[in-house]
Amino acid sequence: MHWLRNKWTLRALGIASALLIWEALGRTVGEALLAGPLLVIPELVELVADGEMPRELAGSLRQMLLGYVLACCVGMPVGVAMGRSRIFDAILRPWVNMLVVTSVASLVPLLIVMVGTGFGFRVLVVFIASVFYIVLTAYQGTRGIDPRWVGVGRSFNASRLRTFWRILLPASYPFLITGARIGLVQAIRGMVVAELYVLVGIGGLVNTAGLYISTANLLALMVTLMAVGVTANEALRYVGRRVAPWYEERYANGA
Amino acid sequence: MSLARQDAVPTYVVYAASLIVGLMIWEVAAQQIPRIIFAPPSVVAVELYNGFASGKLVVAFAGSLAHLVLGFVLAVAVGVPLGFLVGRNRTAYYLLDPTISGIYAVPPIAFVPFMIIWFGLFFEARVALVFLMSFIEILVTVSAGARGIEQSYLDVARAFGARGRDALVKVMFPAVLPFVFTALRIGLVRAIHAMIVAELFFASANLGRVMKDAAQRFDTGGLLAVVVLLAVFGLIVQEVLKQIEARVIPWNMRD
Repeated sequence: MHWLRNKWTLRALGIASALLIWEALGRTVGEALLAGPLLVIPELVELVADGEMPRELAGSLRQMLLGYVLACCVGMPVGVAMGRSRIFDAILRPWVNMLVVTSVASLVPLLIVMVGTGFGFRVLVVFIASVFYIVLTAYQGTRGIDPRWVGVGRSFNASRLRTFWRILLPASYPFLITGARIGLVQAIRGMVVAELYVLVGIGGLVNTAGLYISTANLLALMVTLMAVGVTANEALRYVGRRVAPWYEERYANGA
Repeated sequence: MSLARQDAVPTYVVYAASLIVGLMIWEVAAQQIPRIIFAPPSVVAVELYNGFASGKLVVAFAGSLAHLVLGFVLAVAVGVPLGFLVGRNRTAYYLLDPTISGIYAVPPIAFVPFMIIWFGLFFEARVALVFLMSFIEILVTVSAGARGIEQSYLDVARAFGARGRDALVKVMFPAVLPFVFTALRIGLVRAIHAMIVAELFFASANLGRVMKDAAQRFDTGGLLAVVVLLAVFGLIVQEVLKQIEARVIPWNMRD
């Protein structure tokens, strides 16, 4: 049975059996506890066709992207600076270490008191959720750059600026991209945290769905969020390959 | 890093200085704005002291620890062996990987309505959320590590006649231990996150209750006291795990 060892066969088999188990479980416990895929798929089609969910999702994603891009714009330079400058490192590391273990959910009640529950709040939650991961990945990456590469630059009499642009920055791309991917995962999580707390956007829909008799609606939304996460991750992987062909998957395993 | 030159000033002094200066800036800045927007560290310190002296924070924190520990221990007990299996067994990997990646891509907070449907609003639901959020992280990290065990280790072991149990206990377990520790560290951060998420999003309890009460009084000092408590707790737990790691696997100490 050689074909059974093929990884694509195994993957297909894995997905098929997961769906079967899900369906069987759903039929056993009933759709109030767990709707099977045969109920979730039509629900998902209806959600998309109805137009409300895509609209809410688009709105949520817009805010998420704003917070995320801000986090990248701040996090990447800060991380690189920390990785290459001992002063920045010493000043910022204790704060970053502390803030990265701080759950963004624990900041949510405080942020609401500070800035309310509007647009700024949601952008801020996403920003805080992702920025420290981006900083730390960039920091660890740039710090680990082989000193010999910098040495080569010096041997060829490269100025500090040139060393930075031509050696350090390209060498840190893989880590910046990895940081961007980890950050995006965290940003999407932050988005749902914020929205589920103040009940707006796709998070608000998830909350409402929790009140329905059938879980089909809720599961359809979760499948949507899953699709968003997978798509975003694949998109960044593609960008990574284009921007830095020397970007290798093994760097990404640091997640 | 071996190449970094020895400093005259030890690192922890620099870190302490950075923390002190940072707290001073925070104090001065917070004095300029209303207390209900952001409290200065002196107020937070008083809140923390009062909370501990009156026992309010101690009781809340102990309550939070109950579901944190139970959920996390369960997640380790299931996640580490399963991660090892998925990482080392080719068939299991290709069968389960698509499903695991799919579940991993769903923002964990989106499971909150589900947890309510299945486990209610109280202790069981909190344990379940902590379990879910740390389990998936541990599973993914351990399986990535187990997959990455250098084939050369196993070849050497085989060349010296190690088979089956011997190869497993003397080669594979030590090789995968660093990843188990990484998984524990990441898993614990996620578990603490889940702990506070559960207390805020289910029936509010323990530290989550303290935060919600403080938020209703616009008591930013009280809110920040819990945030600081959680951050310091997270840091201490990380540090303890690092120390244990240094004892157990001294051959693998990065910084």
